[in-house]
Amino acid sequence: MLVFRKPIENTERPQMPADVVIVGGGPAGMACALRLSQLIDEHNSKNPDSPLSKENIYVLEKAREVGQHCLSGALLDPRSMRELLPGFEKEAPLDAEVRKEAVYFLTEKSQFKFPITPPPLRDHGNYVISLNRFVKWLGSKVEETGITIFTGFAGSELLFDGARVAGVRTDDKGVDKEGHPKSNFEPGYDLQAKVVILAEGPRGSLTKQLITKFDLAKDSNPQTYGQGIKELWEVPSGRIAPGEVIYTLGWPLSTKEYGGAWIYGGRDNIVSLGFVTGLDYPDPRLDPQHVLQDFKQHPFVAKLLEGGKMIRYGAKSLPYGGWWAIPPVAGDGWMILGDSAGFLNSQRLKGIHLAIKSGMLAAETAFEALKKEDSSAAMLSGFQKKVEASWIKDELWKVRNFHQGFEHGFFAGLFHAGIQQFTGGRGLRNRYPATAGHQHMKKLAELPAGGGEEAHLLGPAKGDGKLTFDKLTDLYHSGTKHEEDQPAHLVIDDTNLCNTRCVKEYGSPCQNFCPANVYEMVDDADQPNGKRISLNPSNCVHCKTCDIADPYQIITWVPPEGGGGPNYDGM
Amino acid sequence: MPDTILVVVEQREGKLNRVSWETLTAGQALAAETGWTLEAAVVGGSVGNFANEVAAKKVAKVYAVESAKLEPYTPDAFSAALKPFIESKQPKLVLMPHTYQVRDFIPKLATAMGRTAITDCIGYKKEGGKLLFTRQMFQGKLAADVSFACDAPWFVTFQNGAFRGDKAEAGGSAAPVETVNVQIADGVIRNQPHEVFKEAKQAVDLTQAEIIVSVGRGIKEQKNIELAKQLAEALGGELAASRPICDSGWLPMDRQIGSSGQTVAPKLYLALGISGAIQHIVGMKGAKTIIAINKDSEAPIFEIADFAVVGNLFDIVPPLIEEVKKAKAGS
Amino acid sequence: MKILVCMKQVPQKDAPLKLNESGTWIRDDVSYEVNEPDAYALEESLRQKEKHGGEVVVITSGPPRAQQVLREALAKGADRAIHLEDNAFVGLDAFNTARAFASAIKDETFDLIFTGLQSDDYGYAQTGVVLAELLGWPHATIIMQIEKSNAGIRAKRELEAGYFQFVDMPLPAVLTIQSGINKLRYATLIGIKQAKNKPLRKVAMTEVQSAVTGNLQKIDRLYVPQKTKNTEFLEGSAGEVAKKLVDKLRNEVRVL
Repeated sequence: MLVFRKPIENTERPQMPADVVIVGGGPAGMACALRLSQLIDEHNSKNPDSPLSKENIYVLEKAREVGQHCLSGALLDPRSMRELLPGFEKEAPLDAEVRKEAVYFLTEKSQFKFPITPPPLRDHGNYVISLNRFVKWLGSKVEETGITIFTGFAGSELLFDGARVAGVRTDDKGVDKEGHPKSNFEPGYDLQAKVVILAEGPRGSLTKQLITKFDLAKDSNPQTYGQGIKELWEVPSGRIAPGEVIYTLGWPLSTKEYGGAWIYGGRDNIVSLGFVTGLDYPDPRLDPQHVLQDFKQHPFVAKLLEGGKMIRYGAKSLPYGGWWAIPPVAGDGWMILGDSAGFLNSQRLKGIHLAIKSGMLAAETAFEALKKEDSSAAMLSGFQKKVEASWIKDELWKVRNFHQGFEHGFFAGLFHAGIQQFTGGRGLRNRYPATAGHQHMKKLAELPAGGGEEAHLLGPAKGDGKLTFDKLTDLYHSGTKHEEDQPAHLVIDDTNLCNTRCVKEYGSPCQNFCPANVYEMVDDADQPNGKRISLNPSNCVHCKTCDIADPYQIITWVPPEGGGGPNYDGM
Repeated sequence: MPDTILVVVEQREGKLNRVSWETLTAGQALAAETGWTLEAAVVGGSVGNFANEVAAKKVAKVYAVESAKLEPYTPDAFSAALKPFIESKQPKLVLMPHTYQVRDFIPKLATAMGRTAITDCIGYKKEGGKLLFTRQMFQGKLAADVSFACDAPWFVTFQNGAFRGDKAEAGGSAAPVETVNVQIADGVIRNQPHEVFKEAKQAVDLTQAEIIVSVGRGIKEQKNIELAKQLAEALGGELAASRPICDSGWLPMDRQIGSSGQTVAPKLYLALGISGAIQHIVGMKGAKTIIAINKDSEAPIFEIADFAVVGNLFDIVPPLIEEVKKAKAGS
Repeated sequence: MKILVCMKQVPQKDAPLKLNESGTWIRDDVSYEVNEPDAYALEESLRQKEKHGGEVVVITSGPPRAQQVLREALAKGADRAIHLEDNAFVGLDAFNTARAFASAIKDETFDLIFTGLQSDDYGYAQTGVVLAELLGWPHATIIMQIEKSNAGIRAKRELEAGYFQFVDMPLPAVLTIQSGINKLRYATLIGIKQAKNKPLRKVAMTEVQSAVTGNLQKIDRLYVPQKTKNTEFLEGSAGEVAKKLVDKLRNEVRVL
């Protein structure tokens, strides 16, 4: 019997007042906390008689340690960091400055290098970083300034007071598999906050709750996502230089899928490589982890990795929808930052600098709210205005229709992208519509039985154990760990649907799109189709793909007990 | 005086702890390598018969270190008895098995003598004139060669199974046995131990099982143990587990294998989803054949496995049960 | 009951370890966590305090990052922390670590000192026992349970093969605590906040220099262990592997 996680009812919860609660300790949340701290320090030095306190400003981070759930390629555009901490390059952990970029188009056996690197992918001046290490460092700066980061605590639901967001409830700890409190049960706290800032990363669970409750997305395009799967490799020296950046398009994807790969040279012969697959592919049997394994078998990549050792694995979704998919980002008592809002430039494949900038702008608004003791929608809408007046808008406006252009295939996308390049991002019309990714998924009946030209992407990868790996072996290297005795945090509305309809219509794609073997259809003679959905929740790497890609949209990812999840050391 | 190696064997509940033979084997090997003389000691209330047992092996001399106050065991008494004895004999090396009892007093004894102990060693090396003792670190992931940076006597304890007890060489003739009566002053012993007792109902004696199928964390859920049970039954063996499984109450404590459970040396030990942390390995290292199934190719268990399968035990065990049944049915 | 809990920060259990340049220790860039038995020792001390009143003090020796272990302990309910923070403390053997601890607490009067039974990194299982000898206190190891008694305490020792033993001991005493003896409590938000204001005393090497000598033993080298057994890896699909295993069981192990 699957018991799903939900807050324990009829239990007394400790109440804790807060001025600002930032949910999520990634680049957006940390930048917000740091900027807020700077503004308060500045204010206090000028107004020693009426100082503002940092005592009640909190960052909630569900990972056991800051940075443990942060995963990205990553390339950092230093623009916003230079605003936040001038001279940051001297102390931040940066792997290398980008010195060389190349873009390749791959076919199964060969590669064609683009004679000119398309301008959006030119990365000179950017840095190859490990987001995990970068955020760890940023977090230490936040702590130094006196803002409390609570690690191992997740925001499990928002607290409402009518139309107002009144605070955040943290996760219940010590609840067993059946949903009953254990002897060390600790109820989640109700943090009564003046301002709640959601910086949960892509497909944030509280963000989803907020958007659903107030129908915030009614005027925006549906958000669309990609899934990034990454492996960190140690290779023999000389294979790739630190700061060398390679992008690939084409194989192993066909023209029906959106996506591509990255290969970045870090320091100490560490290579970051990964594949991003748009979560709007048609064949439900497609397995993004299998796509990555296929990619590595291309002679170009295999040569790079030969004799090397895979040391880390991870996966995370990314928001591709662009400007038109961003919902209102401020309201009565709340603001949304970074990937949770959708501040990502899908053309440049960069979002960290935008996340940081959004955090800084939100901090400015939060500061005003604290000073004036007013966190109403009117006050916090200042954040919305700041974003629209900032270079976040400038940058995202130019690529506002980029991803949507690809909805009808690769070549259509290139065509639209080309026109958008000459029309300041407009293309053929100001706002291209979008369809949610899961709606692109076709039923098995509509697809060739063997998969056609996608056959090599479908189903689980076998792995040779040296260059390629099966999902379970890869998963081991994500370091993911959870308290085993707790309810399942992948909340499925109706498991009967899984067992009766989905298994026939789509062939249970959850087994394929989950990069962590959380979902399994196990044999069960009592079921009409002989199969039953079974979960391995402790395998979860918190990527949110299931919440995004499930064709019936009956899966809701909620945070498991805080402290659990992957360990993206070095990622 | 020639340089000596002193092996302090352990007796408990009226029997010489069989791990003592392993330490004796280690002592004999070191004696051969260094040219030092091997001696042994038994410590307790009245240990003449144990001393005679040891004297049948190839040792130069055996000491029966006795005092009524050494029964029952307390760290105060053992330390108080061994300190003057060792000071008078001045061996270069003092070797003991790494049992729970030895762990309880050897750091105390070494400290009282201003010395140190290198504990839980799995072997030794001689490089030039220096002796290095090898220990596992980080729960078996790495190994360290450790040397002494102080004067002798040097205290070393060896891990269960590091040496083969059955390889202890017998002596040509019985070695001389000397009884050493030690004086332990009143007030030295501060602990008052009570009777030793067993808690888990001893429904199964795993030490007698020829075939053991053992499960670790990789079994994931209690209900999956049924699968291992079926394999055990198909093979005609017993079911066992590593500590975390018993901690969770999924199997009773008497099924636990490892340093805080049973130590077994069956004909066949089949480890399912067991990573191979030292605490578990020491309980089953002596198995004649070890087969391990684990999804992590770098699990330390593979270091001691004779046959290894890197894979998902839930995929492999069901067909394995079928094949075993077929084989037994004589196909 | 005034209880001191000695705690250690060790690399996370599943962390991939890399050797340093000289091959004498591991590289520092891994994730760390509290030594598992020490977490149980802390939990036990907090339960004793809840039952009998008193104070729980936690102590560790290590680089600045080790402070995390103390903060977590304070968040869970410990009252004070002592951090022997000085690079010179890193790499001290058990003998010297115990001597440093003994020196750092010489002006305190504890009833009990707990350590975990051994550390997950070194696994020597010595520091607690050495400390007891240095202080001249009685001790007992691998303890599962502690009850206050008229004479002091009654501790339950774990022995091999499912045996146990009760030991009566006078106070003060040192106990090394077994893992898994209780359910660990969670730190709460309030606990974490309050921890920031609890006293954390830093001790530099100079303060305890007189107690510490050179190491009595040293690690000559650290390395990835070479396999001494010839492990035969069986490969193939699940069905193929099953057949291969049965073949081995029949012909080589001879149990079928």
